[in-house]
Amino acid sequence: MLVLTRKEDESIMIGDDIEVKVLDLKESQVKLGIVAPKSVAVHRREIYQAIQAENAQAASAAKIDGISNLISR
Amino acid sequence: MGKYHDGAALGVRGCVRCARETAKGSWGATMQLETSRFGSIDVDPNDIITFTQPILGFQDYRRFVLLPGPSSYLKWLQSTDAGELAFIVMDPSVVVPDYAIGIRPAELSELAVTSVDELDVYTLVVVPEDKMKVRTNLRAPVLVNPKLRLAKQALLDHSDYPIQFFLAQPQQGQGQAREASNARSNP
Repeated sequence: MLVLTRKEDESIMIGDDIEVKVLDLKESQVKLGIVAPKSVAVHRREIYQAIQAENAQAASAAKIDGISNLISR
Repeated sequence: MGKYHDGAALGVRGCVRCARETAKGSWGATMQLETSRFGSIDVDPNDIITFTQPILGFQDYRRFVLLPGPSSYLKWLQSTDAGELAFIVMDPSVVVPDYAIGIRPAELSELAVTSVDELDVYTLVVVPEDKMKVRTNLRAPVLVNPKLRLAKQALLDHSDYPIQFFLAQPQQGQGQAREASNARSNP
């Protein structure tokens, strides 16, 4: 892993078109600003992982008999 | 039997056959797709939906077709790249009537639309053995531009919708059960 030290208002470039900037430092939190092309999806890692795990569960559904009955209309 | 039988029991094959008859009349060429749930089906290339952003974790599977499900608000999202890959998707407004997605204009342009109203919105359904745990992911809906057949899974970063919204109806006398369990699942 590449490790870089940055101060407030400093940034790093990833390739030519992705910039990650340190906007604010407060106690144990860092606020990051990210400038990236539209095609690059940027998400908090824990949300990303949770959705990926749920997607995997969704793909393994085999028996769906009767699930329509679970939904109240 | 197994998975194939589930599809047959739901009448999906029958519906696909109907669709095939229509397709033959209007388009001609269809492609054969071997699926684990529905056996061999004919797919009209004009029905294939291409994902501009993948269903997370399924980067290699970008092309799908929507097949009829067991009810009007449930459909199968069948991969045309892998016959064994299919998701059950639902119309989320059935369980959350005011379901609304807030996404950036850049994400709309990715699907070649200018308004959310032009999109069909589906959410993925998880069906575990325990039917009380059947749930849908309201946080990451699948958005489809039905005209151009472009789609993506959107992550609603700033929404409070849960990743796990349980569908099971509360028993009598436990009216708040669903709300309570869904509140707990909200990360």
